[in-house]
Parts: sequence; C-alpha cells; structure tokens
Amino acid sequence: MVLLLGFFFLPVVLTSVFAFTNMSTATGISGGSYVVTGNLLRSLKDEGLDAKTIDALGQSSYVIDQAGLEKAHAAGVDARFITEIAERLKDRSFTSSTAFERELKTLPSRPTRVRDLKIAAGAFEQSVLNVRYASRGEMEAALTHMLENPPEGAIEKVATASYTGWTWTTENFKNLVITPDTWRIIGNTVFYVVLTLAFNVLVGLFLAITTFYLPPAGSGFFSVLWLLPRITPVVLYAVMWKWFTWEDGFVFNIAQDLGLPAFNYMKGSVASAWTVVILVNGFVGASFGMILFSGALKAIPVQQLWASEVDGASRWQQIRYIILPHMRWPILFVTSYQTLSLLSSYEQIWLTTNGGPGSTTTVWALEAFKTALNNYTGNLQYGLGAAMALILVAVGLILSIVYLRLFRFDEMMSKPKIEF
Amino acid sequence: MTRNFAAWPIILLLTVLSLPLFIMYLFLLVDTFSNTAPGSLLPNEFTLEHWRFLIDPTITGDVWKPTLTTVIFSASLMIIVVSVSATAGYALSRLALPFRRFVLSGIMVMHAFPSVTLIIGVFLVLQFAGLYNSLTGVILVKASLMLPFGIWIMKGFYDAVPWEIEMAGVQDGASRFTVWRRIILPQVKPGLLSLALFAFIDGWSEYMLPRILAPSSDFEVLSMYLNTVSDPNSSTYNFNIFKSVGLFYTLPVLALFVLFQNRLMNIFGGGTKG
Repeated sequence: MVLLLGFFFLPVVLTSVFAFTNMSTATGISGGSYVVTGNLLRSLKDEGLDAKTIDALGQSSYVIDQAGLEKAHAAGVDARFITEIAERLKDRSFTSSTAFERELKTLPSRPTRVRDLKIAAGAFEQSVLNVRYASRGEMEAALTHMLENPPEGAIEKVATASYTGWTWTTENFKNLVITPDTWRIIGNTVFYVVLTLAFNVLVGLFLAITTFYLPPAGSGFFSVLWLLPRITPVVLYAVMWKWFTWEDGFVFNIAQDLGLPAFNYMKGSVASAWTVVILVNGFVGASFGMILFSGALKAIPVQQLWASEVDGASRWQQIRYIILPHMRWPILFVTSYQTLSLLSSYEQIWLTTNGGPGSTTTVWALEAFKTALNNYTGNLQYGLGAAMALILVAVGLILSIVYLRLFRFDEMMSKPKIEF
Repeated sequence: MTRNFAAWPIILLLTVLSLPLFIMYLFLLVDTFSNTAPGSLLPNEFTLEHWRFLIDPTITGDVWKPTLTTVIFSASLMIIVVSVSATAGYALSRLALPFRRFVLSGIMVMHAFPSVTLIIGVFLVLQFAGLYNSLTGVILVKASLMLPFGIWIMKGFYDAVPWEIEMAGVQDGASRFTVWRRIILPQVKPGLLSLALFAFIDGWSEYMLPRILAPSSDFEVLSMYLNTVSDPNSSTYNFNIFKSVGLFYTLPVLALFVLFQNRLMNIFGGGTKG
C-alpha cells in the first residue's frame, strides 16, 4: 500500500502539481536564485520596460570605495598604484570604463601594460549583471542601488523576471492550445488509435473465428504464431520490425528484386511509416484480441451451433447470427481496454519510427514523454510534459469511468460475509 | 462439425496476414545459425559464430552480468508483487475494510490507468527520494505499477473460493489469519503461480523503466544490453549477432510460456500491452 501510494498516488499528485509550473532543466526542480543577464534585459526591452532603466541595468559604473580597493589588492594590483587611487580618486564615480581608465592613466605610478590597467579598473566595477543573489530582497536592494530614480514598479518587474527557479503558471496549457503542433499531434493520435484499434479488433476477431473453425493442427500453429508478438520482449520485437523494413532489410531486398521502389520503409515516407506503426502495434493488439475472443468463443454453447447446422445455416450465417451476438461484451471490452492502452502507448513508436519522418507519426504520449524526459536540446521541460501527461490522464480517467459504468462495477462488489 | 465451407480461401487469407510474423520469427531463428550473402534473402552457410558472444565478451561486451541483473530484477519483482497481491487481494475480497469500495474502484481505475503517463511524476519522485539511477528504485516503481493488476487478479481468485470453507475454519476456532494461511491460500495457489510467472516474464521484458529511471550502465538489464547491441551506429552492429542475443534473451520467456501455457492463458488476457 505504501508502494502504491509512493509510486502511484504521489506521481499523480506531482504530475498535476508540475503541470502548473514552468519547471525544466534550466530552472531545476528545487529553488532558484535571482540573476539579471543580458538576454533577460533584451527580453525585458521587448516587453516594454523603458530604455533608461535597461541602459542603467546593462551598464556598469565604477565607484572608488573601500570594498573596491580591497578587491584591487586581492587581484594583485601594485600597492603604490592602489594608494594613489585611494588618495586622488576616493569616492568619485564613473559611468563608463573608458572614462575611468582615462582617469587612471593620469596617475604617475600607473602600470605600463594595458592589461594590468584593466584588471585594476575591473576591481572597482559595480554591476548587477550576471551576479547571483540568493533572495529577492538582496536583488531588489542591488537594483535600488543601481537605479537612481526608477519608474513605478520597474524594480519589482525586473526582480520577478530575474528569478531562475520555477514558478507557478498556467502558461503550459495556454501554449498547448495556441501551438498549431498540438492539433496536429491530436490528429495523429486519433488517427493512430482509431486505425490500430480497428486492426486489433477486426484481425483479432478474424483470427479467433478462423482458428475456431480450422482443424486443430492448423489452428494451433496460427494461434501460437500470433501469440509470439505478445510474449516477445518489446525491444526485440521492435528491432525485428526494423530488420524487416529497414534499408537492406527483408522487404527492401524483395522490393529491389521485384523492381519496386525500395527505401527505408520505416522512416522513408509518411504513408509507409504509418503503415509500419499501425502494424507494429496492431499485431500485438490483435494477439491480445485473439486470446480474449478465443476464450469467449469456447464459452458459446456448442449445441446452438449444431442446431444451426441441422437447420442448414452456412458458416457466414452462423457467425453473423450466433457468434457475433455472443461476442458483444468481449468486443466491447477489448475496444474499451485497447483505447486506453493505445492512447498512452508510445514504446513501440519510440523504438521504431521515433515519431518520424519529421513528426508525422508522433502521438500525444510520445510527445509528452519526449518533452519531459527525452529531447535532443537537453532542456527537459518537466512542467510542459507534465501538463501534457495530465491531459492524457484526464482523458483516460473519463474514459475509464465511462467503461466502469458500462461493465457494471457494482456486481463485483458483493459484501463480505464474515464480519470480523 | 460438418465441413460445409471451403477451408482454403480462409487459410490463404490467414497465411497472407500472418506472413510478416512468420517471416520475422523464422529468420530470427535461422539467421542466428547461418550466414547470408549481402543482398540475398536465403542463407548460404551454417555457422555457430553468432553464438560466440556467450563465451567471448569482446564481441558485444559481457552478456552474463546483464543476465544476472535481469534475474535479480525479475525475481525481486515477482516476490514483491506476489506477496503484496496475495495479502491485499484477500483483504479486498473478504474483509469489511473501511473505504473498501473506494479502494477497490481506485485500484480498478489505476489498472485501467495509462501508467506510462505517470513516468514523469515517477521520475521526479525518484529524484526527490534519491533512488534515481538505482536498481532498487526501478524495482519498486515497476512493482507498484504492476500491483493494481496483481491485486485485481488475486481478488478475482479469492472471490471464487466458497465462503463455506472459510466459515468452517472459523467455526473450528481458527483465527482469520490462520484461515487465510492454512485454508484459503492453498485454494488460490494456481492464481499465485500464474501471477508469479506473469510478474517474472513482465519484469524480464521490461525496457522503458530501466532505460529512463536508471540509465547508467552499472546494472544494465538484458533489454538495455540488447538495445545497445542493436544500435545501427555501434561498431559491433550486426543483425545476426543481434538476433542471437535477442533469441538468448527471449528463450527463458518462451520456455516458461511453453511449460505453463495453460496457466498463463487465463492471466494473459488482461495484460497491459497495446
């Protein structure tokens, strides 16, 4: 129970919490600090912060104070030079490095090399740029120090924007609605689920019925063959498909021998990629359907079939009027169960086409997984991924509640008969 | 039954439909024992060289260490899932617990739940708990993902045991625990066995969780090892070696399946794969 709570309930809660944050690798998952960077200033400018404030933040000023003198000393600047700076320039300030350096060059014991001069000047530099402040208070204090008479709310705005940790936001969902990619992925997902489901149910049904009618030797062979995809580990299964459809693979070679267009069928064209994706998942699902349907077929009272044969029914009539009505619940069950698992399945797609070519075969679950845990840019967007997962969870939850209603959950809930 | 239909069109259709599978699995077997000239389809010589990876670690790296890790992984998974499901299933089936209805429907929903969507949350939980990149973490996560299924299955088996047996035990003065331990548990043994097998096979096949939650190579499981071998960019890339490794990897599953086919059939109907 603890396990279930820890790894089932907690992730659910966390997923829904993170869905409302902008957490990513860049922000980290614990707290962050406050930094003003060049990029940040640029984006603040775009957001309409007034130019004077931005310039003031971007500039560094040079103030000759005690702290600066100590820093210069630590940087190994000549002691005589430091004393001179302290005597002649004490408490003066400069707004640019050129002005300050010009002033330094007038001093008698200045260093001969320009580099040394720059080091000395650098010690007196004061700037908020690229300095890390642990708390918001410190950041605001530094900003107030830098800006002489800032416009209303500017300091708060800069301080908020300079936070590097994660914050609460509903941006994830907004972005998802705005991005055109989202709709394409939804389209892909629906396409994938519907077609694979159709393949699963129809082929599963076909297999179950034909193996039911075939003589035992034939039916045994086919049912074992169709069971294999289900028990083969997914990695092996995926790479077998690669061997089958990849360049120099089986289909490739045959197509070449026959003079048909031969290319990498798994990633070469959109149509063939979809075919492969649907077949890869469809074969596994069809064997699931076959197992369930075969079980259900065996439960049909065989007398009904005998009776129908006496009455001269053909096979087709038997299937249409006896078997299919009996199979109503199994079919419904497989359909509902498979919808759920297909919605969230991405393993096979990830291991075969990996959503390609482009992102034409990317489905929702794969995209969520990639966004949050496995993308090329290296910035893993946990927040956005969690938001996508949450949507999937919501859809799954609604569907499973509908299905629970459908399958009369109450019947499974008989009361215990011993009361202690 | 009489044969009032022609069997061959259906067999033909069935064969065409099954052809990809048949070819894939046939060549999986054949290619591990033979060499094929480039560009041709049929093998031209018999060889055992693709199986040398078993004794020669220079070909694809040591194969026995991942095997051992996988055995540990699957075995601990099996133990956790069976022991928790056996107790929790009984409690849910037979005891008048508070919130029983709620817990039961919760587990049903969890079972129907798209478990992969949890992976982001799981990832973060593990990071917080410091179990990220450790075998323990992966075992715990995989076990808890399997538990709703295991509990549900076991509840079904317990439900099928007649109340009268249990009542007779209680009548004779046994405690509820003794009744469970001495009377009920032997009744659901087939269920326990198939659940154990299922857990073992599922653990053996697991790929995603170790890959995502413990990507370091210190304790590679076989599925990750296999995927490394099959990487087309690696220097040791060779379909035939890959197939041998794959067959080696799958053999235990196939063997277990063949041995316990009938027992597994009643549980395989409810697996979680697409």
